[in-house]
Amino acid sequence: MNDDILVVENLRKHFPVARGIIFKKQVGAVKAVDDVSFTVHRGETLGVVGESGCGKSTMARCIMRLLDPTEGTIVFDGRDITRLSRAEMRPVRRDMMMIFQDPYASLNPRKRVGFIVGEALLIHEKLTDAQIKRRVQELLEVVGLSPEHYNRFPHEFSGGQRQRIGIARALALSPKLIVCDEPVSALDVSVQAQILNLLKDLQREFNLTYVFIAHDLNVVRYISDRVMVMYLGKMAEFGNARDLYETPKHPYTGALLSAVPVPDPKLGRARRQIVLEGDVPNPINPPSGCVFHPRCPRFKAGVCDVEDPPPLAHGDGHVVKCYYPLERWPMTADEMHRRPDRVEEPAAV
Amino acid sequence: MTTALTGAGAAHAGPLLDVRELRTSFVTDDGIVGAVDGVSFQLGQGKTLGIVGESGCGKSVTNLSIMGLNPKTARVSGQALFRGEDLLKASPARLREIRGGEIAMIFQDPMTSLNPVHKIGDQIVEAVLLHNDVSKQEARSRALEGLKEVGIPQAERRLDDYPHQFSGGMRQRVMIAMALVNDPAVLIADEPTTALDVTTQAQILALMKKLQDDHGTAIVMITHDLGVVAEVADDIVVMYAARVVEQANVEDLFERPQHPYAWGLLGSLPRLGADVDRLVQIPGQPPSLLRPPNGCRFSPRCPHAFSRCRQEDPRLMPVTDAPEHLQACFLDEETKAREAVKTLTAAAA
Repeated sequence: MNDDILVVENLRKHFPVARGIIFKKQVGAVKAVDDVSFTVHRGETLGVVGESGCGKSTMARCIMRLLDPTEGTIVFDGRDITRLSRAEMRPVRRDMMMIFQDPYASLNPRKRVGFIVGEALLIHEKLTDAQIKRRVQELLEVVGLSPEHYNRFPHEFSGGQRQRIGIARALALSPKLIVCDEPVSALDVSVQAQILNLLKDLQREFNLTYVFIAHDLNVVRYISDRVMVMYLGKMAEFGNARDLYETPKHPYTGALLSAVPVPDPKLGRARRQIVLEGDVPNPINPPSGCVFHPRCPRFKAGVCDVEDPPPLAHGDGHVVKCYYPLERWPMTADEMHRRPDRVEEPAAV
Repeated sequence: MTTALTGAGAAHAGPLLDVRELRTSFVTDDGIVGAVDGVSFQLGQGKTLGIVGESGCGKSVTNLSIMGLNPKTARVSGQALFRGEDLLKASPARLREIRGGEIAMIFQDPMTSLNPVHKIGDQIVEAVLLHNDVSKQEARSRALEGLKEVGIPQAERRLDDYPHQFSGGMRQRVMIAMALVNDPAVLIADEPTTALDVTTQAQILALMKKLQDDHGTAIVMITHDLGVVAEVADDIVVMYAARVVEQANVEDLFERPQHPYAWGLLGSLPRLGADVDRLVQIPGQPPSLLRPPNGCRFSPRCPHAFSRCRQEDPRLMPVTDAPEHLQACFLDEETKAREAVKTLTAAAA
């Protein structure tokens, strides 16, 4: 389709685990991303949520080709970039940029802001120094900094301001896609709101497309048009932000949503939380069948632990990988336990 | 076991912990940093007090000062009465007795607060032996009890594991077990769930609530997350730039916040159930405590500030019809009531 800027199909990234000092022998693999497929429309924000270790950052790095995918295809702007060489990737890179989590680690402390923001222009555009300087100063203004900051060093800025520098750098070449990997999780709430608003404004102004990765469900809800929930390297649920938050279908999404603290004592204490047991399993040896089954309140032996559930459509692009999707929401833990014997089969995707 | 009162302490009436006009400053090369400036609060038996604020507002230093854990460059004044005894004047020996005994602490990062080269069983046993005259065997059985109580599976076997063999959530459980093994009257929890994922956070908060109900422990919960305090706290102290700007019970604070900073915080939170197009943002960033602004410290960022705010220090004053609700803002109550309603309706739209 023409309005899909990014099409990812059956993406897998497995990191080999080796034993032995001299004769290394592969004894297994960390399945960081395991068979994930999705599309990103031009001009939208796709939110990716999941807990630490669910593979969301690895996925981002695969999309950016900072990591080589083990399997699957990545089609960016109509071109398959999965197996492009470094040299072939170079012209593509100007169209895809990344904003990182830690604004302290992602800016070179020994370079001036002008250089950090303008470096991409230096590499990709044939501009004079004066032109670059003018463009960088424009960019600094766009992200809410002052053009005088051109000659300063990163340490002279606060966390929020540094994140603005990172955003200016990502915007320098007017990219088509920006992958934001936890861009606000290191910031305080009031500064976080500034950056989120800025990202939204920039998107409107420059018609940007974002893949926005975060662990904070509130933040993802605010910024995203569509949302993908990941668990242990796999997609659990995918849908429009509103559908997914208001009528989650996957028990894991339900548990996640009910676990988020509500900044309102009346609402928060009235709701019944679904507290999951145990921890996220080891991705070297993921559980059989549905990877969520050992912690799932709806687990049915002989079904959930046999085969990975296929993605099933629930109307309007809402896709769920679960044999016993939730019938309604909100639900208490008890209601979640009472799963129907056999759910009517929605159409496979 | 419902109360933890022992010896002379049991006779003391009034709040368990009564902090009065606490001031802490640090002498640095650049000048004197007033990290805590006149903080007062009370904590009752079995209650939870939430201290909220952004990084650098002095919420952690407040508690380190109470426990006598500040570096030597700190100057502390005021009073911190624990069952009538001023902790700021207590001898180092007496403080050692109290710390981990009657007042215990847990910290944000359970990886750095556990010793990586000792088995966790031995670390808990050490905490028991320091404060109780019991045999090693008895201490070990208490450690085991503690681990079982915080829900660590196969506790017997895990006593002999090292911290790296535990997940983040399990490590925080170990920390809680260690803190509670001597049945403290007060537990100070400094961002105990910040490093954890939401579902793990929900587990830990539920566990703390249960243990509080079982043992009658009073908790001081330091956090930047308004959602967390809304769930667990009875009373809330909001700090900004080393000072308390608002103080109230949890319902009052969320129903009729009085201070513009509190409105800003509540408005800048993205929420799950709300379709907000734009978050309220507090412009600028917190001031440097080396050279704090004159008058109200929030005035440079406050959209409601007028000339008086920049000249005079606002004092904490009770709200007319709610004497327990304290706030430090010069605006008239009518404006405050109007603005509070505006903030809350906008946030929940």
